[in-house]
Amino acid sequence: MRPANVQARPVPGQRPAGRIGAAVAVLVALACLPLAHPPAFFESFLYLVFLWVALATSWTILSGYSGYFSFGHGAFFGVGVYTTATLTTAAEMPFLATLPLAGLASMLLGVGIGAVVFRVRRLRGELFALLTLAITFVLATIALNTPIDGGPGVFLSGVSLPRLYATPASTLYLMALLVAALALALAWQLQYSRVGRALFAIADDEDVAEVMGVPTFSYKLRAIGLSAGLAGIAGGIHAVFVTYVTVSETFSITVPLYVVLMSVMGGMRRWYGPALGAIVVTALTYAFVGGEWALAGRALIGLTLILVILFLPQGFAGSMSSLRARWQPRAARPAMPVAHVAPRPSTASDAVSGVGSDGAGAPFLRCEAIHMAFKGVKALDGVSLEVRAGEILGLVGPNGSGKSTLVNVITGLLHPTAGQVLLDGIDLARLPAHRAARAGIARTYQIPRPFARLSVLENVALPAMFGGLQLAPAEALERAREALAFVGLLDRAADLPSMLNLHQRKFLELARALAIRPRVVLLDEVLAGLTPAEIDSAIAMVRSIRDAGTTILFIEHNMRAVLALTDRLIVLNQGRVIAQGRPADVVREPQVIEAYLGTAAC
Amino acid sequence: MGTISRKLGLQLTGLVCAVSAALVTAAAVAATSGAPVRVGGTLALTGPLAPTGLIHKIVGEIYVEQANKRDGFLGRPVEWVLLDDQSKADLARSLYEKLVTVDRVDLLLGPYATGGILSAMAVAERHGKLLIHNTLGIPKLAKYERQIPVYSIGAVPEQTLPATLFDALAANGKTPKTVAFVTSKFPSVHFMSVGARETAKKRGINEALWLEFEFGTRDFGPIAARIREANADFLWVGSIGLEGNQLLEALKKLDYAPKNPFFLYPSPGPLAQSPDAANALSMTLFEDHAPFTNTPQATEFARLYRERAGKAGITYLDADMQAAVAYAAWQTLEAAVTATRSLDDAKLAQWLRANRVDTLIGKLRFDGAGNYGDDLQKIKQVQAGRWITVWPREFAPPGARMNLQ
Repeated sequence: MRPANVQARPVPGQRPAGRIGAAVAVLVALACLPLAHPPAFFESFLYLVFLWVALATSWTILSGYSGYFSFGHGAFFGVGVYTTATLTTAAEMPFLATLPLAGLASMLLGVGIGAVVFRVRRLRGELFALLTLAITFVLATIALNTPIDGGPGVFLSGVSLPRLYATPASTLYLMALLVAALALALAWQLQYSRVGRALFAIADDEDVAEVMGVPTFSYKLRAIGLSAGLAGIAGGIHAVFVTYVTVSETFSITVPLYVVLMSVMGGMRRWYGPALGAIVVTALTYAFVGGEWALAGRALIGLTLILVILFLPQGFAGSMSSLRARWQPRAARPAMPVAHVAPRPSTASDAVSGVGSDGAGAPFLRCEAIHMAFKGVKALDGVSLEVRAGEILGLVGPNGSGKSTLVNVITGLLHPTAGQVLLDGIDLARLPAHRAARAGIARTYQIPRPFARLSVLENVALPAMFGGLQLAPAEALERAREALAFVGLLDRAADLPSMLNLHQRKFLELARALAIRPRVVLLDEVLAGLTPAEIDSAIAMVRSIRDAGTTILFIEHNMRAVLALTDRLIVLNQGRVIAQGRPADVVREPQVIEAYLGTAAC
Repeated sequence: MGTISRKLGLQLTGLVCAVSAALVTAAAVAATSGAPVRVGGTLALTGPLAPTGLIHKIVGEIYVEQANKRDGFLGRPVEWVLLDDQSKADLARSLYEKLVTVDRVDLLLGPYATGGILSAMAVAERHGKLLIHNTLGIPKLAKYERQIPVYSIGAVPEQTLPATLFDALAANGKTPKTVAFVTSKFPSVHFMSVGARETAKKRGINEALWLEFEFGTRDFGPIAARIREANADFLWVGSIGLEGNQLLEALKKLDYAPKNPFFLYPSPGPLAQSPDAANALSMTLFEDHAPFTNTPQATEFARLYRERAGKAGITYLDADMQAAVAYAAWQTLEAAVTATRSLDDAKLAQWLRANRVDTLIGKLRFDGAGNYGDDLQKIKQVQAGRWITVWPREFAPPGARMNLQ
């Protein structure tokens, strides 16, 4: 058995705080650089480095962290450029005063786009990328055909800069440094925060994240707003740097292409990755500016990108982390002081009360007349059922009977065409899925859907942070360790899910569900694909979960397990409840037999 | 034995050739001595502006070679510190900072294109450097007193070029009654088109069409349809690069040949060589024919350019306006250095603003508004696959005349 090393990857609440002092010292040293009167070129060069650090880092806050690959960064940057250009020239506003407005304008644009686009599930992946690119062109057209630009460009030579240092070049350098530092600080803060974890989970599997309690819509809005706002501020500064602003150069494909290139090269899921990429690409750009080397330099940048994609798919930062993890000896972790008993529901009031002799108490979750249709095809046709506190309720039915649809409706992933899902009298049917999770409803997936790029520990800590418990990151980690200990995966806490076998991934699903201390957990074919011995251990585990007070809705095909575990049984067929009652009785009912075996031919 | 002798003979011959070549080279540069005069500048050697940047690079290399074969600058060899700004204005700015503060060049020459020039100008101004530039399309943006515009289009080309053009049409008895304007919104193009529109209005020419399109437009079908519908006596195409060719192709698909089309800033080769562009008009400052090439220096320049351009893979080998203004910038710089016997930026700028300089594109002065002098623009026309200057008549080659409908 491998010793656990749960510190191998950055986890929420575990910021390397000792490095903050060093970072501040570097920032102060860089800010003081102009006092040494270096050649203006160095300030100019570093200005461009910091500009691209800010742009690439801000891009990764949305696209690297949440996985929404955007080609719209040119739009956010361009809005910042033109906000400052317009306000400093037409409105004669002081330059510094325009920068917050440049950031705000871009942020509003980003949030506006997100408010529309993030509601549409199909607008993910390449469609999102194309849409954001299209917005860039739309904005360019607007700027070009209105007094914002109108065609001739905007000349900012008359704009006076605040004298933060002796020369304008030094002042611009300092401003770019500050916006880059702000972007890095925000990216760093996000990466180690619960929001960052949520964004990473969204990137891996947005629907699962939502079902585990992550308010995906609002978090994505935060990400795009922050990303766009930073790009807007950078754009505002850059308007004065170039002094002559034109639509064709501002809203060109250069900005989105470069930030993608830099982020991919540096590593999109590390706060410092895009900065590394920005430094490398900008340095390469300058390394080959000699007239004889121009083409070779461009070719070298292209070649570098190809090599990075081929051999360092996680970018410089990801590869550095992997190497560090490989070189660091896995410290033997002392045994966790965790009792291998099933977690109890989250609050005392949720504890099973009034449990009868059959192990069941009063109904607390009710589905009433649930109808669900997909383009006219009825998946659920008036399903009503109740789940009683403390019971294991079996839900069976042939393939296509509507079991998984019902689970999706109860967990909020699907909103029913009609009907109610009542938990403590509150209808969850039309609320977003994360509200169901926060109300104490958890589920597993028939085919495990772990967050592929989060460790096993992070996979389990995430629902503890966002589900019913809403724990702080450090507490969530402890809670996750408890859940992993319960399912026997604590020693795999630092591994990625891809390193687990099917059996272990099923148990990881179970640990994620238990991490929120659910009031009811929906186990969707948790036994499928397991060996008989594994099934026996799983049955024992499910029983101990119920014994600890958690109500279970057990969806399963394995009738041996169903009969062994469930207190009551409901049978679905063609979207309708055709039988319910004690399991031994239900399986003998003719309509159940007919549903499973079909009508014998005469 | 015979084989060894032959091999030895060949080696000796090679050695003699190498020594001779070295001696010839040494003789060529013997005229110059001392630390080189370093002239710094950037060009768009990569990126979207690279095709034109290449022309400027070829010309610069020709000029530096010629200068070093003479007496260099002040008897010192000339070294050209050329950097690639990748067609980006922000990079141009920082590279000019590098040239001034790190490479510490003695003199500056501007980059290609308006955006880059304005970026470089801001750097030059901060360091008090002279900046000679040759392709700034919007003169009113040039505010720095030590910037010297060799691209001699006058201070208000948006008025003077259309005036020259309409004068040319009138002198040939073809004053248009109607004019159709289509223009890219590329800044330096749009600005000229707006001026042309106002000039036409003042001259009482009816505007049959005013249509703007975005820089980067590829589908000219709808624009072509509007042009055909307008069917004006004269077509002003505010285009840059290959836009003119693309528009002509779209017009051809409609089976429509516009009357007297004028293209503002075309790619000279592709348009001249297009079968659809016969008699197309444009503006110029120099073409590879008499009387521009009447001086030995111009003849030699045109010959060398043709030779180098061919080696560089350029298809249109005639030295045209771009090549000539690049050469004129170097001529202007050398003239100032020679006259003042100095590399001092203030002295050079002062001298240039007070004197005239003989160049390939004419006698230049820099004493007007924004240091601009006369508008020396002329009208050229595609004839038999070449650009031929047709107006003013004294700049047309013998026997050439303007062909109009």
